Amino acid sequence: MADNGSSSTSAVLSLNKFSNLECKNLHDYLRTRPQNILEKLYNHPTICLAVYRELPELARQYVIRILFVEQPVPQAVVASWGSQAFSKEHVYVSKVLSELSVWQEASIPGGLLGWILSPTFKKNLKITLLGGGKPWSMSSALDTDNKARDVAFLDSYSLERWECVLHYMVGSQQQEGISADAVRILLHAGLMKRDEEDGSPVITRQGFQFLLLDRHAQVWHFILQYLDTVEQRGLDLVECLTFLFQLSFSTLGKDYSTEGMSQGLLVFLQHLREFGLVYQRKRKAGRFYPTRLAINITSSAANKSAPVLDDDTHKGYIVVETNYRVYAYTDSNLQVALISLFTELMYRFPNLVVGVITRESVRQALRGGITADQIIGYLKQHAHEQMLQDSRNPLPPTVVDQIKLWELERNRLTYQEGVLYSQFLSQADYNVLKEYAQTNGHLIWSHKEKRTLVINKCAHDDVKKFWKRYSKGS
Amino acid sequence: MVNVMKGVLVTCDGAMKQFLLHLDDTLKLGRKFIIQDLDDNHLFISADILDVLQAKIDDLMDQISFPLAEKGQ
Repeated sequence: MADNGSSSTSAVLSLNKFSNLECKNLHDYLRTRPQNILEKLYNHPTICLAVYRELPELARQYVIRILFVEQPVPQAVVASWGSQAFSKEHVYVSKVLSELSVWQEASIPGGLLGWILSPTFKKNLKITLLGGGKPWSMSSALDTDNKARDVAFLDSYSLERWECVLHYMVGSQQQEGISADAVRILLHAGLMKRDEEDGSPVITRQGFQFLLLDRHAQVWHFILQYLDTVEQRGLDLVECLTFLFQLSFSTLGKDYSTEGMSQGLLVFLQHLREFGLVYQRKRKAGRFYPTRLAINITSSAANKSAPVLDDDTHKGYIVVETNYRVYAYTDSNLQVALISLFTELMYRFPNLVVGVITRESVRQALRGGITADQIIGYLKQHAHEQMLQDSRNPLPPTVVDQIKLWELERNRLTYQEGVLYSQFLSQADYNVLKEYAQTNGHLIWSHKEKRTLVINKCAHDDVKKFWKRYSKGS
Repeated sequence: MVNVMKGVLVTCDGAMKQFLLHLDDTLKLGRKFIIQDLDDNHLFISADILDVLQAKIDDLMDQISFPLAEKGQ
C-alpha cells in the first residue's frame, strides 16, 4: 500500500475507503428532489417527456397504458400485465414510478389499492404526445440572423469552451479565462480543492476521475453540481431546470430568442455560455444557439439510440503496443496532459506524442486516485481506428492485465482502525459482546476459540458503555 | 475482566503476513509492532507504525518488480 507521505494515520486509513466519483443519471437526480419541486417540474411538458424517455421500458409501457384511464387501476391488474417470471422487474419499475411521483397509490372503492398517474404529469405528458399547450418561451419567431453560425462552428466553439474548463483542471499552460464562478463550481463539486498552503485550487481524486469520463458524462455531472449551487445564487431551480430541458430538445444549428426570459434565466444563460453549452455572439445579442453539449444532455449515456454527443468531432488517437509504448496522435495540450497522467512521455512531435506505460507512471496515477479500470477505459475509448480492427480487445491484453496487476499490488494489505477485545473470562461474556457488536454492524473480526474480537474504532465508546452496563448487571 | 487494546486490523494474504511476521521478528522497523497474530489473513498491529510499515512494503514491492518496458532508443 503506497501513500504519498501523508503523516497522520487517519488520512492513510481514509484512503483505503475509495471515495469515488459518483455519477448520477437523471433518475437518481430527480429522485432526491423534494416532492414539491417534482410537482412544479411536471408542470412543463418538456420535463415530462424527458422523464418519460428515461424510464425503464416496462415503466414506459405502464404509463402509456394508463395514460388515458381516468380512474385508478388496481395494482393487481397492473401486475398481471407481465408474466410471473418478470415479477422482479415489475416490482422495480413500480418503485421507480413511485419515487419519481409519476404515479401514486390510490384506493379504489372495495378496499383495493390502485395506481393513478399524478394529475400534473398526466396532463403534461398528454400535451407533449398530442400537441397543444403554450408555445415554449424560447421558440418565438426570430428574423434571420445576418451572421448565422453553422454546426461546425458551434462544435468547435463548444469544444473550445469545454476544454478550457478541463485545461484549467489539469493546470496545463493554455490557461485562459475561466471565471471565478466556474472555479467555485469545481470546488463545490469536490473536483478541485484549495491547496492548504497557498489556497490555489488543485485537482482532487474525483477530479482525475472526472477527466477520464466521456464528454457527455462530464457535462452532465458538472451541470448537476452547478444546479446544486443554483439556489444560493438566487436563481430559481425549477426555472433553470425547465430551461435546460427545453434546451436539450432544441435543434442544433438553429438560433433561439432570449425574448421573454426572466433576469434569472439570463444569468443562467450566461453561465451556460461560459461552459460552451450555448453560443452567443454578444451578451445582449437577443439570440443564442444551443451547442452539441446541451442537446440531449438529459439522456443517459446508456441510451444508445440518442445521437452520440461528439461522434464526428472526436476520433480515436491512441495506439498502445504490447511493449507498453503509447503513441498519441494529437496536438491538443489537454489530451497530452491527460495521457501524461498515467504514462511517461518520451518524445513530442507536432502531431504525435510518444510515451511508455511504466509501473511508476501507473502507480503515480493510482496514488492520484485514478483506478486501473479508468485508465483502461480511457485508452479504450480513445483507441485509434487501427486498434479497433480487433474489435474484441482494442488494447493489447498484456498491457491491460499488467495495469490491473499494478493496482492489485497496492491493495495487498488493507488497514482498518480498530479495538481488540481479548481474554474474556467466559464464553458467555464473549458471545454477548460479539452479538451486540454484530447487530450494530461494528464487528470487523472475531474468533470464537480464541475469544477475541476486533471492533470498529469509531464504535469503541458505544461498545464500552454497553460492556460497562452489562458487567454491572451480571 | 477483558483486555482492550487499540490498534489497526490488517487484512492480507498469507505471503504478506509472513513478511510482516519476519519484519517483526528481526526488528527491521526498530521495534516489535505486531500486537496479536489473529489468523492466517489477519494481524493486529500498533497504529503508530503504519507509515514506516507502508514505506517498507513499498520498498519490497520496488525490489521485486522488474522494469517491463524498454525506454531506450
